[in-house]
Amino acid sequence: MAEVKKDFKKRLQEITFKALKATIKSVLLYGIYFVLSMFLASVPEMFPGFQQIIETFVIVYMIFTIFAELTSETIFQHFFNTTKALFVILYLAFSLKSGVIGITFQNGNLIIDLRSFMAIAMLLSLLGLAKSMFQAINFLNAKAETLHV
Amino acid sequence: MKIPIRIIGTATTFLWLFLIAFLVSAAYSFKDVSFDLGEPKIEMTSHNEILFSLPVTVDNKGYYRLGSFNITTEIPDEEGSIIAQGSTFISTIEKGREIRTIHNMTIDVDKLLQDSQDYLFNDTELEIHQVVSMKLAEVISGQASINLSIPWGAPLYNFTLGEIQYVTHNKTHTKASISIGFVNHASFDLAGTIQVRMYNSTSAFLGEGQTTIEAPQNGSHQRRVELSVPTAGISENGYFNVDFFTPFFDYGPLVIPYG
Repeated sequence: MAEVKKDFKKRLQEITFKALKATIKSVLLYGIYFVLSMFLASVPEMFPGFQQIIETFVIVYMIFTIFAELTSETIFQHFFNTTKALFVILYLAFSLKSGVIGITFQNGNLIIDLRSFMAIAMLLSLLGLAKSMFQAINFLNAKAETLHV
Repeated sequence: MKIPIRIIGTATTFLWLFLIAFLVSAAYSFKDVSFDLGEPKIEMTSHNEILFSLPVTVDNKGYYRLGSFNITTEIPDEEGSIIAQGSTFISTIEKGREIRTIHNMTIDVDKLLQDSQDYLFNDTELEIHQVVSMKLAEVISGQASINLSIPWGAPLYNFTLGEIQYVTHNKTHTKASISIGFVNHASFDLAGTIQVRMYNSTSAFLGEGQTTIEAPQNGSHQRRVELSVPTAGISENGYFNVDFFTPFFDYGPLVIPYG
């Protein structure tokens, strides 16, 4: 009975720690977003829909981060990390399209070429995806070794 | 395996932070770059072309330098073919520097009038396509295109030939006197000659005369041209061929029927 109680206490501590870690990460992410959005305050006036694109990205990214933290030390953590990396790639591809953004004004239009930024961002996202895959492989490998022993 | 994964993770995080910081600072710094287009001036060159000059000021107070700054202006005619083009290129505008330049474009009036005589006789608007392009921090390139229109004043606005007044000159010839009137709405003073040739209803040439033009900017011009025509050849109706010779353009014949 005492062992069950001790086990429950340990698990509660683990969950609390994970939740705390997830909260800290989310707060940090939101903090970064908040600071950056202050610098980019004038951009939404020029690009209608920019704010929504960024907000959706931040919300989904934070959800994946929270779930990955809450499921840490399980295979689901790697599943969420991989999904997060894939989401970044797909979201970049969908929101930036070909990397050339065009806005039409009353008597003219503005074109901004972000292809070089997009290329670097895509490469970094792929690196993130590769990292998640390696982590998953490493996790399964370590688990298999433990079972074998 | 854990160490390489950590190295990849750390490197990716740093590169992401660097990339986002660069992009945000570039976007933030762009608000401190000011562009000012001054009042456009229209004047004549020594080659009798219209010089359209636009003062441009670029004040780069941003964190990054601007590269490949280019302004291109094109004026198409009614059918869309380019009648005038001008380009101004500044290779680099360092941060903290202000550059003042004049964007020039010449309009060949002769060529303009060859395309459409509407520009000669009717006030209209010239469409201007202006493209401003630049590279921010050598990485992010942007291009803004603007469509403007400037008023075009016709140099021979409301050109009319008046009623013919015949005065007997001698037994065989009669003096035909015709009044010529127009208003110079162009941005330049107009000087030159007008040649008038008279034909009767059978297209037989009757005679010719010429008069000088001296019409200042926005000034009206009223002159009479006198032609000595054979009395026998005069018919109730016919037509005039009018030719214009000025330093800016030669145009003709403009066929104006009479009678």
